[in-house]
Amino acid sequence: MQFNTDEEGPGLQSEINITPLVDVVLVLLIIFMVVAPMLLKGYDVNIPRATAETKPAEADASEVVLTIAPKTCPIFKPPTGEGLPADCRVSLDEHEIPAADLPVRVAQILGGRPADQRVLFLAVDSSLNYEAVLRIVDFAKSNVDDLRIEFVETN
Amino acid sequence: MRLGEPGKLQANINITPLVDVVLVLLIIFMVMAPQMRKGPEVNLPNTAKPADQGDERARIIVTIDESGALWVEDKKVAADKFGEALRAAAGNEADARVVLRGDARLQVGEVRQTMLAIEDAGFRGVGLISKDASEAKGN
Repeated sequence: MQFNTDEEGPGLQSEINITPLVDVVLVLLIIFMVVAPMLLKGYDVNIPRATAETKPAEADASEVVLTIAPKTCPIFKPPTGEGLPADCRVSLDEHEIPAADLPVRVAQILGGRPADQRVLFLAVDSSLNYEAVLRIVDFAKSNVDDLRIEFVETN
Repeated sequence: MRLGEPGKLQANINITPLVDVVLVLLIIFMVMAPQMRKGPEVNLPNTAKPADQGDERARIIVTIDESGALWVEDKKVAADKFGEALRAAAGNEADARVVLRGDARLQVGEVRQTMLAIEDAGFRGVGLISKDASEAKGN
């Protein structure tokens, strides 16, 4: 700022210059307006179906199936609080493990594969609660990047 | 402003009211942002690390409410009209993507049925929408 030493001795600019503030606020407003309808978060899943081009998933030795059955994981109500439902045991590749061990085991099995082969097949009983299952899925994929999820049919 | 001093007129526009209005608009948008979704209010599942679901162009929002009723965008549709409604919503968009907002109290079976119906209508893959637990703590 420069003081005007000419004839206007007392005419100092004593107000705060708020033009930059207005600029910033307007830009923030525009950002919010643009972003507001777009904010959605979730999980990408696939449902393999038998069609002409894609053959149904075959029980391949390299496929990793996560099975959540009501017998070992009785979650019929939305879980309270955060985190995993308690008392839940799941089968990963036909080994029964506590759900809490999932990230480590999934990372062991799938972490070393190339990104396009990191697929976790989910065989979930229909009677289980959606939120609890989504939390288990979220937990299971937490240690592996780019993990694809495929829902498969259960009997 | 006094008329006797023509050289000392206040030549700047007074922008304080403008700032007030813009700030109020900003606050309105911040408050409204979570409610600007299409479709009914549902109790989304809380999970730890949901991924961003891309931008809204060519995105069709399907909602399953607590009672199991299906909504395509903001219209309730019967189960037997669901595929039709989805294709109508997609229009000419070749790479339309379906995201599914399912209520936390649903059973997996109900969600899977809808996923299969979406697949049958010709869409590849579904995004299952959830709420970021760290952002939802305040609610």
